[in-house]
Parts: sequence; structure tokens; C-alpha cells
Amino acid sequence: MKTSRPTIPYVNLAGQHASIKAELLEAIEQVLDHSKFILGPEVEEFEQRFAQVCQVDHAIAVNSGTDALVLALRALGIGPGDEVITVSNSFIASTSCIILAGARPVFVDVGEDYNLAPAQLEQAITVRTRAILPVHLTGHPADMEPIMAIARRHGLHVIEDCAQAVLAGYRGQRVGSIGTVGCFSLHPLKTLNACGDGGVLTTNDPVLSESFKVLRNIGLRSRDDCVVWSGNSRLDTLQAAILLVKLRYLEDRTEKRRAHARFYIQALADVGGVQTPREHPFEKAVYHTFVILAERRDVLKQHLAAQGIETAIHYPVPIHLHTAAAHLGYGRGSLPETERQAERILSLPVYPDLEPSDLEWIVENIRSFYHARGDG
Amino acid sequence: MGEIRERGIMQVKFSYLERQFVEVDKYLKGIEALVRTTDFTLGGPLLEFERRFAALCRMPHAIGVASGTDALILSLKVLGIGPGDEVITTPMTFIATVGAIVMTGATPVFVDSDDGFVIDPTKIEAAVTPRTKAIIPVHYTGNVADMPAIMDIVRRHQLLVVEDACQSISASRDGKPVGSWGETACFSLHPLKNLNVWGDGGVIVTRSDDLADQLRRYRNHGLINRDEVQTFGCNSRLDTLQAVIGNLLIEEVEFITSQRIANARKFDEAFADMGEFIRIPERHPNVMHVYHLYLIRVSRRDELLAYLHRNGVEAKVHYPIPVHLQEAARCLKYKAGDFPISEADCKAIITLPAHQHLTPAEIDYTIDQVRSFYLK
Repeated sequence: MKTSRPTIPYVNLAGQHASIKAELLEAIEQVLDHSKFILGPEVEEFEQRFAQVCQVDHAIAVNSGTDALVLALRALGIGPGDEVITVSNSFIASTSCIILAGARPVFVDVGEDYNLAPAQLEQAITVRTRAILPVHLTGHPADMEPIMAIARRHGLHVIEDCAQAVLAGYRGQRVGSIGTVGCFSLHPLKTLNACGDGGVLTTNDPVLSESFKVLRNIGLRSRDDCVVWSGNSRLDTLQAAILLVKLRYLEDRTEKRRAHARFYIQALADVGGVQTPREHPFEKAVYHTFVILAERRDVLKQHLAAQGIETAIHYPVPIHLHTAAAHLGYGRGSLPETERQAERILSLPVYPDLEPSDLEWIVENIRSFYHARGDG
Repeated sequence: MGEIRERGIMQVKFSYLERQFVEVDKYLKGIEALVRTTDFTLGGPLLEFERRFAALCRMPHAIGVASGTDALILSLKVLGIGPGDEVITTPMTFIATVGAIVMTGATPVFVDSDDGFVIDPTKIEAAVTPRTKAIIPVHYTGNVADMPAIMDIVRRHQLLVVEDACQSISASRDGKPVGSWGETACFSLHPLKNLNVWGDGGVIVTRSDDLADQLRRYRNHGLINRDEVQTFGCNSRLDTLQAVIGNLLIEEVEFITSQRIANARKFDEAFADMGEFIRIPERHPNVMHVYHLYLIRVSRRDELLAYLHRNGVEAKVHYPIPVHLQEAARCLKYKAGDFPISEADCKAIITLPAHQHLTPAEIDYTIDQVRSFYLK
């Protein structure tokens, strides 16, 4: 009986935190000592370190990845009457940010890499299009070269949704440094994670950088000088202190994810019912999620669950098919590849703390599922 | 806790935060326990904090959000306020009140403040137009706006009310607590507030089950469950980590409030005979003012401010520029002279440290310094 094995959860945040608890508490105590809870010194230090990590001139920390996207759109003057082109197979926030800015989302279909298909891009551009918002889904970089070329040709901004992709690379550049702006999430489930909500904007444009700093702080240029109306979206100093600890381990933990992914890709190569992600030599994926396309996905998911292996689906309902998107006029069938993938995608556990034996056990159960049914 | 001296001069700090950490261990234990459970997003401690906050406000629902500013924005959003609508408030407030209105797409309309630094109800009706949808009375400094008079106007014109109670937790008028008049009321937990957390945070209270449901969805991307969105929302959750701190500090609200009231009384009494230089706002016996800020009007304000700073008393000005004269407000086309009371007050007001951790010696020293400036 193999059921005596311990269960493998889809994520294991407790494992990550147990190993660095003492460092975290020390960092928190240091914040208490100076009590600069709002935009304190750790925020600036984190921003500098994050900018280095992304190989970009400026990083501005905000309250969430969603807010990063909203502020990017607002700083670029995108609002009512404007269109922003994006994808539908993402977390809801990459579309709701466009709605929050008052603009209209326009969806294009995706390719085999789960990312925006550049070939579909140009036909979606209208006179109202102001920006392209590609998502580096799963931590795999979108195909930025043709996207940037099209953006240049049409005078459009490019806002990279890097929520899942810190450290990912594309033709020698890090994501977040390629477009006009990069938007990162520091949500607890992300590869670089706060103990609460958080986000970061990156840019090489000093004017945009200043604008982000004013917009995240209620439009204030100084304590008494409000130059533009805005909301409040600051990363807590306390979270910045926590993130500085986590940054020490980010590269190492990312390499572990990549190693897990390589293992899966090799070990599942000959399983007929499964398609694993492909990484081109000019790409570096960071595998925030490890997503396979699986025949009879729901049955496989149940089979794995019965063996104590927890998996997830990112995301079962494409954004254009949510009730909230009904007014945008996209029906079923309008984004065929996105919809086809939504029925087949399955995210396998890929967090750094997984043991080789966990990975082998997962692979073994996927293999047995398909072999038992004679399609291996 | 003892007084601090620098070069022989007593230092009376405006912020109480350094003295909040006498029993730092209990906070760190709380944080450690949370790190162990990793329940970071909308976790158990947040739900507990919301229950306790609602009880404190004697209201059925409290919803934790990312900031006091977001509390205002989310309230206006779920009330359906947006482009084309007008919202009445006062220029005697922190800019975020107005930033929140503009963020929804609505237009802020100002009404002058009164002797108590709150909106003057006798001037509201003149500002009502067919486009007016709501009033945001600001319970500025911890005072309570004249809600009975405001509610009369609201009923006559069928307007909505969002109370800006960011500075006035536990304040009341005629025994009725702030937050109990409006459709919603908005509180800030910013580190300098009477009830604070260790970063940004806010709370919305409401009597309405329906608004509470809408707010809970809207703050969490509009999600009705993990995979379904009915209407697009935003990301504005009070971090569970901050709720852990809030749960420990909410027990002290009664002490904080009574101590601030006692400190304010001492100041009022000590300055009662100085009418030539100091004008204390009229204190109404039916209003429980909680003195988030102890504001008085003084002659030669800037000189007094400099004198106090030289003598170690960290007095402040909240705020030197009324909101309608900020650079950001140019688009609203107001000019100097439009709101004479607010404008005159911004030149005359000073805020003395009055927080709950001041020692009697520090209060006496502050009083002596103010008196000696005018009477020496």
C-alpha cells in the first residue's frame, strides 16, 4: 500500500517560514526599535535591492500587485475611453486593474507557453488602444521581442504583469525591465512573498518613478503639498523588513524550483497524456507554478488527491467567462486556445522545500494513472 | 516611562509609538504564532479583529481594509458613486478624504468648517445640486460633526452619508457613537491614530448586511469564491499580521481615549485665562471628543511653533494648507477666500502633543512652554 505516504500539500508556507523564523523576528524587532512604520528605511532598502534583482533603475513598493497594475495605468494616463490589450488566462486582477482605471480590457488568445500570442496582437489594436499588458504567467516570460516591436510600431505602452515572475529572464533581460513598467506581486503565495499583501513597480523611466512615489502616497510630494489626487498604497515597513530577509534566499529557492521543473519535464517526457512546459534557450522561467496540460484532467486531479497529492488549477475559469466580464461581450468560443487550456491545465506542487522523493511519488502516480488506462 | 532630556531640554514627542513597546514580547509572540500558521490573507485573527471592532463601535459589521483612504474609496464605490456625481465635504481635513472622492470619478464639493473644525451644517444646503449624491462629514481631530443637523439635510435631499471617522474612534454625540449615522463609516489604523496598527490599515463599519457583503467582496477582487467573480473589485485587505497587533491594542482603546480626554482637559484649563492669545474651540457637553489631535487657535502661530520646537516640544500643524488650495485642487477651480473659516484656521491652528503615554511632567512642561512664550 502506497497510501501510507504523507500527503503532499500544494503549498507549504509553514515550511518556508519555520527555517527563517528567528531572522524574521529579528527584522521585525528592528522596525519596532525605530517605529517608522510608514515608508521607513527598510522600504527604501528593499526597493534598492529589488531594483538590482530586476536589473532596472527604479523599484517602487506598493500595497499589492493589483495596486501596482492600477498605478501603472494611472501614471501613464490611461483611463475612460482607452483600451488595454491583455490575456484572459490570468488571475482576475490583471483585468480588474484595467476596469479600476476606467479603461476597457481587450483580450487576445494565448500560445502554447500559456502567454499572449504575439501573432494575434496586431488585429486587436484599434485607435483607442493605449497599452499592451502581457502576463508572464506561471513565471514563464511572455515572448517580449515581437510584443515590443508591435508596441513601438503603434506607439503603445507595455505594462508587464510580472506578478508570478520575479527573476524570470528573456534574451538576457529580466522581466520588469523590458516594457515601460513592470508590476510585481509579493502576495504570500508568490515566490518572493510578504506575510501579507504587497507589490512593486519597476521602471527605467525616472519621471514615471517619481510619479509612482507620489501616487502611492495620496498624491503628496511632501507632508503638506498635494500635487495630484490619489489613494494610499504603501508597502508596510514591516513587510519590507520581512522581504529583505526573504530576498537573501530568493535566488537559491528559485533554482530549486527550476530543478524541480527540470525533473518533472524529463520524468514525464514519455507520458502520452501529459504535455509539460517548454523552455527555450533564450528564456529563463521561474516556475511560480508548474502547469501541465493533462488529458482527463479532472480525473487525474482526483486520482492524485486520493494518493494524498494536492494539485491546483490556475485558473479554471478564464476571465472573459466570469459574470463580471459579461458586459465586455466575449462569449464562449471567442478565445479558443485559452478555453481549451482551461479544461486541461493542472498545477503540480513545485515549491522549493519538496524532497526528491516527493517529486518521484508525484511522477509515479501520474505515470500509473495514464498507464493503467493504456495511453502511456 | 521617564521623560527624555537632550542637552538639558525635556523632549515631548508627538508620536507615542516608542512607548507602545513596553510589553513588546506579547506582540512578537502574536506575530510568531501567525508566522507558524501562515494564515496571512483574510486569516482568523482578522475575522476576530473585525468582530471586536464592530462591538467597539456598537455596529453589526466591520470590514478590515488596507487603509483609511481605501475605507472611503470602497464605501463610495459600493454606494454606486462615480463620474458625474458630486460629494460634499469640508476643506478642513486630511487630503485623503478628497483623494478618495476623486478616485471614484466623482467631484468633491466643499463646504466651510465651523468653530469645532468640522463641516458647518448651516452652509451645506447651499452646496447641494441635482448632482449631489453624498456627504462625507469628517469627524476631524476626534470631534463629532453635527450629525443630527446633517441628517435632517440628508433626509430632505435624499443623500447618502459616509462618515469619515478616521480620527475619531470611540467618539460620540448625544450618546450615539460615530459610525452609527452613515450608510458606512471609515476608520484609519495608521500608526499615529488612537487605535493603531504597525503599518497602514483601515476599517469600514456598517449596519447594512448587503453593504457589508458587497464590501467584503469588493476588497477581495470581487471574488465570491476562489474561482468566481461577479463584479470586478480591487485588492484592499487589512493584513492579518496587522490584525494580530490590532487585537492586542483594541483592549487599550478605553485607556487611550480617557487618557487623551484627561490630557486635553488639562490643556483647556491651563489656557483658559489666555484668551488674548489662545482660542480654544467651544466644548460641547453632549459630545465625547476623543482628541486624536489637540488643536487650538493661537496668535503668532509660526513663532510659537518654532519656540516650542526649540524647547523640545514637538508641536505640529494639521494642516497649514486647506485642501481646496492644494496644487491638486486647481482642477476644482476654488480660490483663496472661498472658505474663510478653514483658511483662517489653517493659519492659526497648532497641534500640541496630547497622546496617552505623556507623563504629567511632560504635560506640565508643554503648558509652561506655551504660557512662557506669550507671558514672559
